[in-house]
Amino acid sequence: MTDDFDLPPELRKLDHALSEVRFEPRASLGPELMGRLRHGERAKSDVSSRRIRPALLAVAASLVLAAAAAFLLMHTPSVIVDRCCYDLDGGGDADDGVVLLAERDARVHRLRVYEDRDASGAFSDGDIVRLDRGGEPAMRPGTGQHLVTTEHCCLDFDGGGPDDDALLVIGVPPDRVMMAAIYERRPDAARSHRGADAFPLR
Amino acid sequence: MLEPDSVPSAPSSHEAEVRCRGWFEAHGTAVYNYFRFHAPLPDVAEDLTAETFFKVVRAYASFDPHKGSQKAWILTIARNVLTDWRRRGRLRQYVSIGSMHDLVHDCPSPEERLLKEEEVGRLLDAVATLAPADRELIGLRYGSGVDTAETALILGISEGNVRTRLWRVLDRLRKVMHE
Repeated sequence: MTDDFDLPPELRKLDHALSEVRFEPRASLGPELMGRLRHGERAKSDVSSRRIRPALLAVAASLVLAAAAAFLLMHTPSVIVDRCCYDLDGGGDADDGVVLLAERDARVHRLRVYEDRDASGAFSDGDIVRLDRGGEPAMRPGTGQHLVTTEHCCLDFDGGGPDDDALLVIGVPPDRVMMAAIYERRPDAARSHRGADAFPLR
Repeated sequence: MLEPDSVPSAPSSHEAEVRCRGWFEAHGTAVYNYFRFHAPLPDVAEDLTAETFFKVVRAYASFDPHKGSQKAWILTIARNVLTDWRRRGRLRQYVSIGSMHDLVHDCPSPEERLLKEEEVGRLLDAVATLAPADRELIGLRYGSGVDTAETALILGISEGNVRTRLWRVLDRLRKVMHE
């Protein structure tokens, strides 16, 4: 076999033995190969890469979507938060909810307290609106003598992410809501000498 | 060194089939024998041979006759296929007697054929103990039967280096055989 250069004598026997080793593939291998090719079969690595490629694309697309969603989440000016169901009007039933249109983790533009009449668990057309206010947390006129103040804490009412907001509701049981506002609870609130009333209402 | 997968292309199925048939007729046995020096079973060598020619069809437009022979180019692809196969952990380190029904021989009797198979089995068992690079050299030289120049081209080394390495590998093999 190594006739294109000389080998040391002690290696020639081995060289000859190796050169004598010959295998013959089965005669049908060639036609079988042609048939497989004709039926569109490809190399396994091609097949696997064709399988992997869509998976990689899906992962890449997911990452892009996640990044876009995170970007939107961080940069969307307003967010609508709907929380249900609590006893906000003092009626005794946990059938009230609150809908807020707010700048994320900041100013409230709109706040609506509703009674979830259709038990949908969210604000819907069949619900009764108990309070509908704009950006200012002012008391409604006609304040009576039997005001009840309740605080619901802590949830994410402003879409900021952490459950660090409290909802303050002032009303006349069983179904009148005179004022509602949210405020952010600070981590040191429990230890602070200042009460909840020191936090700005939104 | 040749780079067979550098320019993939998609020939028409008929064109690919015609080319593949011609290449297989010319070099199929050499490729099969190359794999047979690495794969313990004929079935495995067949699979690897088929895989090689599928790749050859896919990459045929990248073949440049100025860079080397068709056979050297196809064997370069075969090397890649073997490397992939090794990575997949399917390499068995022994050759079992009785799995050599594809061995070419001129033995007149079954007994002589058995002795021949045993001799070749011992030889390939010894080859299997060599380092992958050494086995590569043996497979190319004795399996596929390429000469020094083509071996150098496929391995990307000089012809002098091929000769030196082959001497050393054969010497190692001889020692293994005598152990």
